Amino acid sequence: MTSRRTPLFSHHKELEAKIVDFAGWEMPIQYTSILSEHKAVREDAGIFDVSHMGQIFVKGPETVEFLSYVTTWDMSRQKEGDCRYCHILNEKGCIIDDTIVYTISEDNYMLIPNASKISKIFDWLLRNSENFNISLENLSDEYFCLALQGPDSPRLLGQHLNTSVGSFQLVKIGDTIVSGTGYTGEKGCEIIGPLSEIVNHWESLIEMGAIPIGLGARDTLRLEKGYLLSGQDFDGNQTTLETDYSWVIDWNHNFIGKEALMEFQKKSYPKLRGILIEDRGIVRPGNLVFSNDSKISSLTSGSLSPSLRKGIGLAYLELDIGTPITVEVRGNHLNGRVVRMPFL
Amino acid sequence: MSEVPDNLSYTKEHEWLSLDNEGNVKVGITDHAQDSLSDVVFVELPEIGSSFSKGDSMAVAESVKAASDIYAPVSGKVVSVNTKLEESPELINESPYDFGWMVTIEPRGELEDLLDSESYRELIA
Repeated sequence: MTSRRTPLFSHHKELEAKIVDFAGWEMPIQYTSILSEHKAVREDAGIFDVSHMGQIFVKGPETVEFLSYVTTWDMSRQKEGDCRYCHILNEKGCIIDDTIVYTISEDNYMLIPNASKISKIFDWLLRNSENFNISLENLSDEYFCLALQGPDSPRLLGQHLNTSVGSFQLVKIGDTIVSGTGYTGEKGCEIIGPLSEIVNHWESLIEMGAIPIGLGARDTLRLEKGYLLSGQDFDGNQTTLETDYSWVIDWNHNFIGKEALMEFQKKSYPKLRGILIEDRGIVRPGNLVFSNDSKISSLTSGSLSPSLRKGIGLAYLELDIGTPITVEVRGNHLNGRVVRMPFL
Repeated sequence: MSEVPDNLSYTKEHEWLSLDNEGNVKVGITDHAQDSLSDVVFVELPEIGSSFSKGDSMAVAESVKAASDIYAPVSGKVVSVNTKLEESPELINESPYDFGWMVTIEPRGELEDLLDSESYRELIA
């Protein structure tokens, strides 16, 4: 399969970005350095080209009923202009993907699946839409997504589009949607619109001082906040309960996977927990986790936290917060403990 | 454009070597290598006195995204390590040929298969 590029590829190359393959896309992993880009988002404002992410539109009179059925959230609780983070589960209650659902209007919704899951999610929605009066449209190839993140983002957004947006709210400007969402834990927004407009947004925001940020810092930024990475922290075999994201479930409605989840929660199960490394050293996905000298799990995510200057990771564990553990890195055991998330 | 000083020897694994008066070999990674790694945030160094055969992994330099093995460019015994890298691994990025040196090895046998600066420049061109 040949790699795909966003319309900003030449801009990324001009900025001397290091390019990597991500979910079949040639994307910038860093422009200058992950540490400096991470810091720019925590302290100023950064801009990310995340146009590889999907845009699936659901329209029609039974949109609310349909999306309530295929996600963990009851969409009748959404008002026009609301965004909601939730999970899409299979019948076993396992997460197929996590997504943000945008209520553009009562009968017009947009979903943002992860790049690697777009066709899987579209097929899944299509397959489960038989009994609903809705239409589905995958416009992922026609829309861009730029994320503007960091404490200075509201000012830049005001300067650029003369607008502001609340957390998990959206505003429409013509065909373009600006939402108070992101993957960094900072103030900011995501701008989603027709592909032809991306260059204008990118160039204007860069000119105003937004720092270009690659996928490398995107990963450290999200990990410090305990946000899940699709395909890594869940790979199709974990339920929402195990990820410890039960707050995305509204139990007062019927949805695919609900029965399985109700059955699942009757027994004890490991949950995704934060691990903070106290020794010097960096942990990586796949590193083994030990408790009292026995192997109990492995890390789904692991990195250096640029903000804490310590190793951090995520692992499915049946251990209480505060429990000491070790993580094996190249044969050495690094001391750490189970901590409450977010790390930061 | 990466810096490649004329007075050093190089390996295909992007290490540099310099011979001191006592016949020991100082080893670090090249400017090109530190640039590919990006921010070095952690360095694992061998213990003084440990022995390596040429090609063994003797140290690790880690960036935020990845860990890279540093291979022994020559067989021998480690006689000193740059302990400053424990607190300041960024020295490898800032000064790869000077303050960012990693280990000194007392070589066992001849130095072989090394590149001069011209050949190394061709390698990374």
